[in-house]
Amino acid sequence: MPIVQLNHVRKVYDTKVAVEDLSFTIEPGTMFGLLGPNGSGKTSTIRMMIGITVPDSGSVSLFDKPFVRKMLARVGYLPEERGLYKKMKVLDQLVFLGQLHGLTASEANQRSRFWCEKLEITEAISKKTEDLSKGMQQKIQFIATLLHDPELIIMDEPFSGLDPINANLLMDALADLRREGKAVLFSTHRMDQVEKLCDNIALIHRGHLILSGSMTEIKSSYPRNRVHIHFEGDDSFLQDPSIESLKRYSGYAEIKLRPSPTLADDAQSLLAHAIRVARISRFEVTEPTLEDIFIEKVREALPIANGGELSMAQLDQPKESDLDD
Amino acid sequence: MIRVWLIARREYLERIRTRGFIITTVMIPLIMAGFIFGSIFLSSKASFVTEIAIVSSDTQLALDLKSELQQGQGGSLTQPSLDPRKPTIIVDAMAVAPDTKAILDQEVDSDDLDGYLWITPAATPGARPTFTFTPRSSTGETSIKDTLAAALSTVLLREQLAHRGIVAADANTMLQPVEIVAAKGSTHEDRESAEVSVGVLFFLMYLVIMLYGMNVARSVIEEKTSRIFEVMLATVRPEAMMAGKILGVGSVGLSQVGIWLAVALLLSGRSLVLHLGGDDIHLALTAPQIIFFFVYFILGYLFYSSIAAAFGAMTNSEHELQQLNMFLVMPLIFCFLTLGTVLLTPDSTLSRVLALIPPFTPLLMYLRVSLGHPAPWEIALSILLTSASIYGIVWVTSRIYRIGVLMYGKRPNLPEILRWLKYS
Repeated sequence: MPIVQLNHVRKVYDTKVAVEDLSFTIEPGTMFGLLGPNGSGKTSTIRMMIGITVPDSGSVSLFDKPFVRKMLARVGYLPEERGLYKKMKVLDQLVFLGQLHGLTASEANQRSRFWCEKLEITEAISKKTEDLSKGMQQKIQFIATLLHDPELIIMDEPFSGLDPINANLLMDALADLRREGKAVLFSTHRMDQVEKLCDNIALIHRGHLILSGSMTEIKSSYPRNRVHIHFEGDDSFLQDPSIESLKRYSGYAEIKLRPSPTLADDAQSLLAHAIRVARISRFEVTEPTLEDIFIEKVREALPIANGGELSMAQLDQPKESDLDD
Repeated sequence: MIRVWLIARREYLERIRTRGFIITTVMIPLIMAGFIFGSIFLSSKASFVTEIAIVSSDTQLALDLKSELQQGQGGSLTQPSLDPRKPTIIVDAMAVAPDTKAILDQEVDSDDLDGYLWITPAATPGARPTFTFTPRSSTGETSIKDTLAAALSTVLLREQLAHRGIVAADANTMLQPVEIVAAKGSTHEDRESAEVSVGVLFFLMYLVIMLYGMNVARSVIEEKTSRIFEVMLATVRPEAMMAGKILGVGSVGLSQVGIWLAVALLLSGRSLVLHLGGDDIHLALTAPQIIFFFVYFILGYLFYSSIAAAFGAMTNSEHELQQLNMFLVMPLIFCFLTLGTVLLTPDSTLSRVLALIPPFTPLLMYLRVSLGHPAPWEIALSILLTSASIYGIVWVTSRIYRIGVLMYGKRPNLPEILRWLKYS
């Protein structure tokens, strides 16, 4: 039974197409990554999934049935823009939000305390929200999303602005929830986080789906033509004819090998070449990263060939409200 | 709708616990009481004494005028008057001497005298003498001149009557001013207290509607800036959020007015107000006046706060809100400008028409109900019209709200807002 099913969803704001012909499903017990640069339609997609806006065409099903508002009691949503009542005490705030989701006051109270303990912020319980650090507020918001034990958890950029320790704490919490059989969807433009966490992904760009499927399938469909090499000394091996392009950093290079039926052998001979001239501390042959795949896909989708290096930064569009023209 | 209730309760509790609520609850009545009692106090104590001199070669005329001014029937000039427009006048009658004018001028200049009246006898017998009044520049000269003129005509008239052989006693009777006694019901003084009490409530209603209407708009903007909307909208309909907010904030306003009225009734019960304000002012409110106050207060609040909610949803900052506030404040200010007319002639056609126009109904119909005699159908129609327009406003507002609260960035222009209305 899929938890989320989007069928050919389309949403247009005035003249701007926010989402076009988007379909995907999310199964229980999986973590789903909705990826794309800013302004690509991630938030618009999520808003349609929870009924804040309605798709112009296509359909949204949650829990195997067409969307109705009553289902929201089984959904937890962490918006991209964090929002809490600044003047309210943390516990009052959590209890209020829990009650809005249908919990009784005492249930909400109990669960708030449980989660605060789990995320190591018990000292914040009696404070006013505005007195907390940004990271702490984000944890409170995170808790508010999970209080009513939702079966579908939707998080828009959940880790932005968090230090690695706290980001890991939240990632672990999400991993626990997945193990309990919840479906977790999170959107991000940080591809490296997705690679570690997600079972399935959907890549969207300017409202169009350009890639979707399970993480392992997507990765294995690409040849292992990337070489990461850490070295000291002479770098003349980087001129090797098997190299198509490369990015150089100090003592480190990311290499893309020329397409060839004997890729594995090419990599070995490159290693042999490197060892002759330099001291190698690490040598890894791997598939392209998700970011590489994404950039490649976007470049294919773009009608005009882009001469320069296309980076995530260039794909970013100026951040605007989805509703602006 | 349990969620509307939850939102309203949160809004209510969060607001009523703030220091701001306590401060306004205490301060506003203090300030208003200060104004009212202050003005009563000033007008009772500040009735000033005017000292003038009358200069005439006709001693009889000067003396008559003096006695007329001091104990004339026109006003109780011998004792301090409550009306500041009728000053107490101390009069010196004096005969003409060569240096009189110079002395008097000097006294006026040195502020010892408030002015003098110079009576020049008529050139031909039977004609009137000419009167010249020289006031000190800063005196309330017009009122003194009026008083003098009135006294003079009485004196001259009496003189003429005496000439024609009418006895002084008869003349006095003839000159007795006519007094009209109110036939039934409220005496003049009760009416005055009622006007003051109703005026105070009118001002209260105006103030609280403004204050809490703005509060609604401000709190919408606050939730927009803190992005709490996104969280809320994932569980609650925007209409429910708006309803909860308006009800919650409105309940705070009602509580505040309730506290004030309760305290006022308690105080007037103990006649503390009587002691403070003399016997001119007491809280003269009847039960219907209080009930209609709450009815029209609630209507007015709903009317203006739903508009304010839409304004909040359309803007991104208090600064932008201030530009729209004009549309909220203008109708209320208009009510204030018509206050005098409606207060004096609550049953005139103008008052009746104005009181039926929804933006003005809450304030003006309340005045009419309290002081005039509107027909029951007029009251019913005013409530009906206002309720219908509130319904319309809420319909439009909730649409603007639904889209507007998710819109950050630039302020929408009119065509955009009209487009919002079409979104489902």
